[in-house]
Amino acid sequence: MGLSGKLQRMKRHIVREETKEMIEKPVVQQLDFPHMDEWEKAGAKPYVLGDQWCLIREASYPLSFQHGKHQFSEVKKAVAKWNEWEGTHPLSAKGLAASDLFFFDTETTGLGGGAGNTIFLLGYARIKEEEVVVRQHFLPAPGNEVALYSSFLEKVDYTTLVTYNGKSFDWPQVKTRHTLVREHVPKLPSFGHFDLYHASRRLWKHSMESVKLVNVEKEKLDIARVEDIPGYLAPMIYFDFVERKHPEGVLKVMEHNERDILTLITLYTHISFHLLQEGNHYTSRERLEVAKWLSAVGEKKLSAGAYQELVDEQHEEVQTTASHALASHFKREKEWDQAVNLWKRVCEKGKLPERIEAHIELSKYYEHQRKCYGQALHHAEEAHRLHNNTSKRMEEDLIKRKKRLERKMGV
Amino acid sequence: MLFRRKTLQEAIDWLRQEEAVRSNIIHWHTIPEKKADTVSLPADIAPELAAALKNRGIETLYTHQLAAYEAARKGESFVAVTPTASGKTLCYNLPVIQSIIENEETRALYLFPTKALAQDQKSEINELIQEIGLPINSYTYDGDTPANIRQKVRKAGQVILTNPDMLHSAILPHHTKWVSLFENLKYIIIDELHIYRGVFGSHVANVLRRLQRICRYYGSDPVFICTSATIANPLELAESLTEKKIKLIDQNGAPAGKKHFVFYNPPVVNKPLNIRRSAVLEVRRLAGEMLKNKIQTIVFARSRVRVEILLTYLQELVKNELGPKSIRGYRGGYLPTQRREIEKGLRNGEIYGVVSTNALELGVDIGQLQVCVMTGYPGTIASAWQQAGRAGRRHGESLVIMVASSDPLDQFIIDHPDYFFKRTPETARINPDNLVILVDHLKCAAYELPFKKGELFGQTDVEEVLEFLTEERVLHENHGQWFWMNDSFPAHNISLRSASQENVVIIDISTTASHKVIGEMDTFSAMTLLHEEAIYLHQGIQYQVEELDWEEKKAYVREVDVDYFTDANLAVQLQVLEEDQKQEKEHVTFSYGDVAVHAMATIFKKIKFDTHENIGSGPIHLPEVELHTNAMWMSLNAELKDLSEERLENGLIGAAHSLKAIIPLFAMCDPNDIHIVPQVKASHNQKPTIFVYDHYPGGIGLSEQVFNQLEEIIKQAAELIHHCPCPSGCPSCIGTETALHTAKKDAYRLLEMFLTIGAK
Repeated sequence: MGLSGKLQRMKRHIVREETKEMIEKPVVQQLDFPHMDEWEKAGAKPYVLGDQWCLIREASYPLSFQHGKHQFSEVKKAVAKWNEWEGTHPLSAKGLAASDLFFFDTETTGLGGGAGNTIFLLGYARIKEEEVVVRQHFLPAPGNEVALYSSFLEKVDYTTLVTYNGKSFDWPQVKTRHTLVREHVPKLPSFGHFDLYHASRRLWKHSMESVKLVNVEKEKLDIARVEDIPGYLAPMIYFDFVERKHPEGVLKVMEHNERDILTLITLYTHISFHLLQEGNHYTSRERLEVAKWLSAVGEKKLSAGAYQELVDEQHEEVQTTASHALASHFKREKEWDQAVNLWKRVCEKGKLPERIEAHIELSKYYEHQRKCYGQALHHAEEAHRLHNNTSKRMEEDLIKRKKRLERKMGV
Repeated sequence: MLFRRKTLQEAIDWLRQEEAVRSNIIHWHTIPEKKADTVSLPADIAPELAAALKNRGIETLYTHQLAAYEAARKGESFVAVTPTASGKTLCYNLPVIQSIIENEETRALYLFPTKALAQDQKSEINELIQEIGLPINSYTYDGDTPANIRQKVRKAGQVILTNPDMLHSAILPHHTKWVSLFENLKYIIIDELHIYRGVFGSHVANVLRRLQRICRYYGSDPVFICTSATIANPLELAESLTEKKIKLIDQNGAPAGKKHFVFYNPPVVNKPLNIRRSAVLEVRRLAGEMLKNKIQTIVFARSRVRVEILLTYLQELVKNELGPKSIRGYRGGYLPTQRREIEKGLRNGEIYGVVSTNALELGVDIGQLQVCVMTGYPGTIASAWQQAGRAGRRHGESLVIMVASSDPLDQFIIDHPDYFFKRTPETARINPDNLVILVDHLKCAAYELPFKKGELFGQTDVEEVLEFLTEERVLHENHGQWFWMNDSFPAHNISLRSASQENVVIIDISTTASHKVIGEMDTFSAMTLLHEEAIYLHQGIQYQVEELDWEEKKAYVREVDVDYFTDANLAVQLQVLEEDQKQEKEHVTFSYGDVAVHAMATIFKKIKFDTHENIGSGPIHLPEVELHTNAMWMSLNAELKDLSEERLENGLIGAAHSLKAIIPLFAMCDPNDIHIVPQVKASHNQKPTIFVYDHYPGGIGLSEQVFNQLEEIIKQAAELIHHCPCPSGCPSCIGTETALHTAKKDAYRLLEMFLTIGAK
């Protein structure tokens, strides 16, 4: 018996789950450039390089197009605002024009990173003078990746990528696949990168169960998808296309990819306005997260301003957290009266860890600034009572503090 | 009277003088001290490196270390055969570090069979690097490597220490992140080469094919440096694993201390049945005597179950002198943290005794142990020497006691000491072209890089397999290349270690609130070890299996305290699918080909501790398991008019038992890798037949080796029966499954018939 006979017999040992969901074998063997009329109808043209080829599809939208909460033209406003803004921030477009932004998303044959996970669609949008142009480079069959990456890289003049989770997925995968054809195509340029997934998590992980792009669209941007293909079906649709060559399913995947990219424009606009405190329709929780973020990136003054606006909020948790953060700011600035007022407020209605910290801060204040040991001891005792032995180190600190104060008081 | 502890010398004298012990010693072999054979350091060694070696007390090299250095520097791949404690690490560390000092771009990849070994060797190489004082980066890369340093390891690691599993599932599928390694890879080190045999070796050979394919893609052609324990065919094994021309370095220049090798046969307790006292009980006594005297002792046992039983016994025996924590179990199934704790305790002397499976055979440096006790012959000569090397590793006087079990192979070895001390050890076999294994790795290889038409995989033409995978919708062909076209990550579905691809997870449900996973086991072993009601032992604790969820591959166990363990039977049916080779004689046919095996666990027995008597049994309800594999079989065509069917059956069972015992002397395998089934009327030819098959889908070359050496194997099996002192069959020759007193005579006669008729 030959090898193929053995293969058939050993099939049960060899073939596993991974092949189960595959589609029935097609009957027709296709030639190159099949179904070109349908491709052209969808706005796609072939790009040929030596014996390889790919498809490039273009679509454009007027700047006045309203995609969810924002018009595309508003991204120009956001970029202008960033340029006027005095601070620095990872999402800041300072020094950039809207046309420098490269809204980017890919579709791949698998989920994980790895050399064998093929990118079959590279899609991006650019902001032009009058319109938004979406371009998609599509791999019609494996073995055409030199054409795919050459066409993609030859006109690249962007400076900053805007993606959703592109830092850990899309761009590393582009690098991986590029490495495999790196001798035949231009180098990958270096660039800045705004990953809106991380931004969205910062702003909304408290209020959303899952910060997936579709959920952000629905809950934050008022975008509703109609007849959208879920992203997880993309690999199956592509495998079917590679066999049967019929563009119907793939065109739906391209539509999905185009939507994702357009949403990036709206989302970047939206988050920028948020950070720049443009407009007044944000929840107090969102405003608190913005203030925290500003503080985390070192914009102390700007974050203090943002906290200041929240200290009289109705929302109690936001109010006390903001007060506590602002008090730290005043402490740094040695504006003791303001700090003390805020700490006192936190001692009354803050969350437990904040209350303990506020008492400790007050104790320090009375000890070192006012030499008022009785008051200091009172706050140390309050902190100790609230703390209730939850962390060993703090427990020891508090006992030490109390002893020292008692000594100073001459008790 | 005050208890005075014996020294090792006094313990040796005790063995010689104590009548109840002395009378069981069959053979006492003393291996004299051996002087070192040294040469001066090679002239081209960098001064920093020479100075560092000097500071560590190395002013000369052993001859084999120099030969290794010179070969590596000339770009010749080689395998160095190095017994325990012969300074093998310098065979690779020296050329690697010298090359890195000369050119910092140089990269080396070290492969160790286990994570623990890689950790151990990292400490060793780092001590040398520190001494040199140059910034050479060596890192381990395994599941424990923190995510935040992985990128640094990939980009800047000059020496990467890892294991084949990690290479298979984490490095090769992500080769684009390792460009600087693959572009500059000059040396690949394969330590403990002899471990890569059978299924595991066949997998690793394919991982190395993938590795070399990636190296070619990035333009490197690394030199292979292998080190191996003593086996019959280190060169052949190295060449079939790497598919490279390899040089053999086997003159050993290292010194060795005086070693006493004692063959101990437990006394016969039942003369008519030739049943001996249990080896486990004898070991309890011998090892207990050593441990009570605080003589550091390692005890080896062949199965996990025996390790656990011995551990319980020994801890109980010395609990007043040493405390139970000072004796530990060590085996492959333990979780890594448990293993590391034991390794550390051994090194710093908090632990006096270790009871181990062969997991510790590997070169983990656990420091000085004075005595090694083997519970039964470990199965191969190579293994026995590896285990013996655990005692007196650092050149002192040492004692090795091998306690034979009633197992026929043990009895054969203990009766033939010359066979053990003079014969070449076993042959290690792999079969990289086993279809199941090959296809698995072709998928991984295609995931890593597309296949070009005409491209070989190693030396193998794989076009037919690529076409098969295209039909199965895993690959897609275009422009004369095959591309991966699937959404899975193939390496994650393939384990290099276990015979079957799925493992059963063992879950402890003793505490209702916190169920926890305590280990795992391959499905074939699980059929006989984790069936419902089985007693499963883990770290000396008994668990009873309450439920085996075969679909979900989960075994739920609960802690119990009983005075027995369990032992299960497996019923097997065979069907010949294809005959590839055939030798037909007048009355005998020898064949080799493909078979289908249907196996089913049937019943289990409960066996009492201490007395080892059968105290009950029960059925096992598990589905039949099917296996397609390679087999050799021998059929008798002669009429056997004077033998009733019953006598024929008993004779065949006896002959099969002795064959099974002898085969591991020729083919290097674990007892479970090869199975033997006698049939009075084989279903394909209606003739009395004995089948020998590989216990792995597609076969791994063992039954083929048996087919090639059949005459010698039958001869030794017949000799085993002939020389056994029992009157009519015992566990040490034809086993206990036979019911007739004629079985021994008939088994011998059948083997003689196969031999004399077959030889014509």
